[in-house]
Amino acid sequence: MDRTLIRNFCIIAHIDHGKSTLADRLLEVTGLVSGRDRRAQYLDNMELERERGITIKAQTVRLPYTASDGKSYILNLIDTPGHVDFSYEVSRALAACEGAVLVVDAAQGIEAQTLANAYLAVDAGLEIIPVVNKIDLPSADPDGVAEEIEEVIGFDAADVLHVSAKQGIGTHELLEQIVSNVPPPKGDPDAPTRALVFDSWFDPYVGAAMLVRVVDGKLRSGERVRMMAGGLEKEITELNVIDPRPRRVEHLEAGEVGVVIAGVKTLAEVKIGDTLTMTSAPAEEPLVGFQDVKPMVFTGLYPIESDGYEGLKSALEKLQLNDASLVYEPETSDALGFGFRCGFLGFLHAEIVQERLEREYDVDLISTAPTVRYRIVLTSGESKEIESPANLPSAGELHCIEEPVVLATIHVPQEFVGGVLKLCQERRGVQRDMVQHGTRVQVRYDLPLSEIVLDFHDKIKSVTRGYGSFDYELTGYQASDLVKLDVLVNGDPVDALSLIVHREKAYSRGTELTRKLKEFIPRQMYEVAIQAAVGARVIARTTVKALRKNVTSKCYGGDITRKRKLLEKQKAGKRRMKRVGSVEIPQEAFLAALKLEDS
Amino acid sequence: MDYPDGVSAATVGVYVHVPFCERVCPYCDFAVVGVRTLTAEVERRYVDALLRELELRRPAFAGRELASLYLGGGTPSLCRPESLARIVRAARAAFEVRGPVEVTLEANPSTLERERLPGFRDAGVNRLSLGIQSFDDATLKRLGRAHRGDEARLTLQAARTAGFEALSCDLIFAAPDQGLPQLEADIDELLAFAPEHVSAYELNVEPGTPFATAAERGQLACAGEDEALAMWDAIESRLEAAAYVHYELSAYARPGFEAVHNQRYWRRQPVLGLGVGAFSTDPRGSRGDAPFGLRRSNLRSPDAYLARIEAGESAESEPAEALSPETARAEAMFLSLRTRSGLDAAAFEREFGRPPRGFYPDEITTLVAQALLAEDSAGGLRLTRRGQRLSDTVFANFVELGD
Repeated sequence: MDRTLIRNFCIIAHIDHGKSTLADRLLEVTGLVSGRDRRAQYLDNMELERERGITIKAQTVRLPYTASDGKSYILNLIDTPGHVDFSYEVSRALAACEGAVLVVDAAQGIEAQTLANAYLAVDAGLEIIPVVNKIDLPSADPDGVAEEIEEVIGFDAADVLHVSAKQGIGTHELLEQIVSNVPPPKGDPDAPTRALVFDSWFDPYVGAAMLVRVVDGKLRSGERVRMMAGGLEKEITELNVIDPRPRRVEHLEAGEVGVVIAGVKTLAEVKIGDTLTMTSAPAEEPLVGFQDVKPMVFTGLYPIESDGYEGLKSALEKLQLNDASLVYEPETSDALGFGFRCGFLGFLHAEIVQERLEREYDVDLISTAPTVRYRIVLTSGESKEIESPANLPSAGELHCIEEPVVLATIHVPQEFVGGVLKLCQERRGVQRDMVQHGTRVQVRYDLPLSEIVLDFHDKIKSVTRGYGSFDYELTGYQASDLVKLDVLVNGDPVDALSLIVHREKAYSRGTELTRKLKEFIPRQMYEVAIQAAVGARVIARTTVKALRKNVTSKCYGGDITRKRKLLEKQKAGKRRMKRVGSVEIPQEAFLAALKLEDS
Repeated sequence: MDYPDGVSAATVGVYVHVPFCERVCPYCDFAVVGVRTLTAEVERRYVDALLRELELRRPAFAGRELASLYLGGGTPSLCRPESLARIVRAARAAFEVRGPVEVTLEANPSTLERERLPGFRDAGVNRLSLGIQSFDDATLKRLGRAHRGDEARLTLQAARTAGFEALSCDLIFAAPDQGLPQLEADIDELLAFAPEHVSAYELNVEPGTPFATAAERGQLACAGEDEALAMWDAIESRLEAAAYVHYELSAYARPGFEAVHNQRYWRRQPVLGLGVGAFSTDPRGSRGDAPFGLRRSNLRSPDAYLARIEAGESAESEPAEALSPETARAEAMFLSLRTRSGLDAAAFEREFGRPPRGFYPDEITTLVAQALLAEDSAGGLRLTRRGQRLSDTVFANFVELGD
C-alpha cells in the first residue's frame, strides 16, 4: 500500500451539527454504501446512540476514493463522539489522524464543542478543513458563519467549504480537499512495528477487538505482538479493515487503520493508548499514549427488588466489557441494601449506563444522588479521596474538604447572557472572562464540578431556549465550605440520602428533601419525624402524622377473596419498603428525594 | 325470633343476585346492569335461570337446613312480588326448613317499590334492607342516587306499615362534600325511625367507576382520613348511645337483630350464591380436594350467565378456588376479627390444629403491644377500639404472600 495514497481524517463538530449525516453521505458518495442500504447514522451502532442521536463509541471506516487527479486513494474516516462527557474519545481518535473536518451548523454557528474540538485538533497538529453544513436550511447563514469561523478560530472565511450533507451539496469538493490538504501519514515502513491502540470494544465471539493506527512498520496476521505498556503477548488471529463491514486482510502497513483480534479475552487487558509491536523485532520506544480516563461522577446503584443484586452485578460486568470507562465496586447501604458504587465520565454517561442497565439487562434501579470525588484533608495532615458521602470522616478528624473545579465555556446568543450569568452565580461560579463574537457571547466560568454534574446542561438549554452550548474541562481542586447533610427518620439516619453540599445550600436542600419525603412516606403506626441535619444540628424538620384509620367497610360474600387479595397487596407493598429503624420508607420516596431539583 | 344456630355446620344460606338497576350509581362496582324498566319477559327469564341454577348447585348443600335467604343486587325489588315468591318457595323446597328463615330483600326508596312492599311481605320477605344512604337531597344527588330525602322518609314509614319483622338501613359516610354535621343529622333522623339494624359504609372509590375517574381529575371532594375517622366515631357513639350493638365493623343492631345471613360470611359458613356475579362458599369436604371449602364465582355478564344456565351448564367465571389451609386460616383471622365477639381460640385450634399464636406469634405480640389487639386468657383475640379503626393494618399481618 502506497502511503502517499492514504488519508486519515476525522470529523469533529458540536452535537447535532450534522457530523453523522456527513459521514453517512461520504459512505454513499464513495460507493461504499448504496442508497438502498442507507440508514440514518450508519456508524452509530448502538440502539441508544441512534435513539439519542449521539455517538458514544468512536468508529472507523475505510473509503475508497478516486480523486480528480486520477489516483485511487484510501480515506480512513475515524468517527468521533459528539458529547462533552466523551471528549476523551475525541482526543484518542485525533491521535490516529492527520486531518480533521470541522463541521459547523450554518444556522447555529460556532458552539462550545466546536471550539473545544477545534482546539484539540490544533493541539494534535492536525490539518483542519472547515466546513459550514446544512446550507440548505432556510435559516442558514453560511457566509455569516464562515466569517464567524474566521474571527473566532482564525481560518480564512474564503476557505470555508459550503456543504449540505443532507442534500449531497459540496461533498465532492470536500473529498478533493481531504486528498489535497490532509498530509499522507508519516512514519517509517521499515522501522520496527509500532501501532497505536486508540479504541477497543468487546465482541462476544472473538473477545477484545483493538482499533489501531499503524505508525511504523507492519502488522501481520499470525505473528505475535506485544503490548508495550501492558506487557501482554498474543498472536494476531485476525486483521480487519472496515469498509463498511469488517473485511479480513493479511497485513496492515504504516499509515493504515484497522482492527486487531489477538485472543485477548477482556477489555480490562487492553490499555487504550498502548503501543503494539512485533515480538520478533520489537520497537524500543512506545508511542506517546493517552492519560488514563478517570471517572468524575459517582452514584450508588441499587436493585429495586432486593433479589436483584446478582442480576445487577452480572449486567454491570457485561456492560463493562464494552465500556472500560465504567468503574464499580460493591457498596452496602442500610436503607437500600446491597448495591454498587459506580463511577462515570459525566452525568450523561451515568444516565446512558443506567438506561442500558434497565433497558438491555432488565434491571430496575434506584440510584443515589450523584456525587463527585472529594479530596479530604485530615487534621493529621493526611489526605484522601472519597467518592461517597458515607466515607466522610467525622468533623473532629476533618481539617477541610476540597472539591474538583472545572473551567466551563458557554456559548450563547447575546439576549440570553443574563440568564446564563445568573445560573452560573447560583452555582457558585466565578467568572473568568466574557468575549463577544458578533451576536454571540462566549462566557467562561470557574465552577465546582458538583454544581454541574446533575442538571447544569439542561438548565443552560432552558435559560437559553436551546441556543446555548456548554463544554468544560477539569482544572483542579479548591477548598470549599462543604458539609454533610444527613436525613433522619425518627432519629435514624437514612444513609442513602446523605449529601455533601455547600454550607449555604444546606438549608434549602434540607427543607426540600424533608418536604419531598413527607409526601411519599405513608402514615405509619407512630408519628414519623423527618429531619435534615448538619452534624448534630437539625436544620429542617417535618412530621408524618400517625395513621389513625385504615379500614374497609364492607365485607360480604364476593368481597372476601377480593379483600384478601387487597390485604396481600398491602402486605407485599409493605415488604417492598425499606426499613430504617422503625420507619418503613417506600421506594418512591427515595426516587423522589433523589430526583430532587437542585435548589 | 329464633333462627337455626348460626354456628351449626349443617345449615345453608342462599344469596340471590338480581343485577338490574334503573340507574347505576357512579360509585358502584357490583355486577349490575342498567335497565330503564325491567320487563316481565326479562324478569321471568332471569328468575327461571335462577331456579335452574339452584337445582344445578343444590347437591353440594344437600340435606342442610335453610338458615337465610338474601335477595341482593342490583335492585331485586325491581322484581314483581310474584317472582320473589317463586324464589322463596324454591329455596324453601330445596333444603330442610325446620324453623323461621331470615328472608332479606334489598330495596331502594322509590314509589314503585314502596307500592310493592305489602306484596313483598306476602311473598315471604321478613327483613327489609333499605338503601337510605342519606336524607340530604344534595348528598343524594352528588352520590347519583335516584331518590331524595322525602322518598326515604315515606319508604321507611311504608315499611313499618307493611309489618316487616326487621328493618335494616344502609347509611353512607365520607360522601363527597357531605361533612360531619350533615352525617350527624342523617344519623339522628334515621334513629327517629328506630330501625332494628344499621349498616354504615364509608364511600370507597373503586377502580373503574365514574367516581374513580372524577377522583383522578380532582373533582371529588371526599373526606380525608381525619374527617372520615370523626364520622366513624360519630356513628359509633350515637348508635351505641341509642342501644345499638356495634357487632361488626360496619354493622349495628338492636340486640337479637344481628343479620343472620351476613354473619355467615364472617363465620365462614357455607353460602350458595345464585345469579350474575354471585359468589358461593361450598361446604368443606364437599369435594375431596377441598378440606377447607371451595369458593366459586359466577360470570358478571347477564347474557353470558343466561346462555350458560339455559344450556344446563355452570355459570362459573373461573375454576372454583379450593381454599388452602393458609388461605382459610388468614380468612378465619380477618373475618372473625371483624366481629365484636372476635376470634375463638379453641374453635380456631380445632380447625387448624394450633391456636392463633401457633401460627402468628410475633404478629400477635406486636399487635397486642401496639394496643390494636386484645388477647384473653384463653388466647382469643378481639380488635381494640383503635384496632377497629386500623383493622386493615392489623389484618395484613395474617395473609400469606406467595413468592
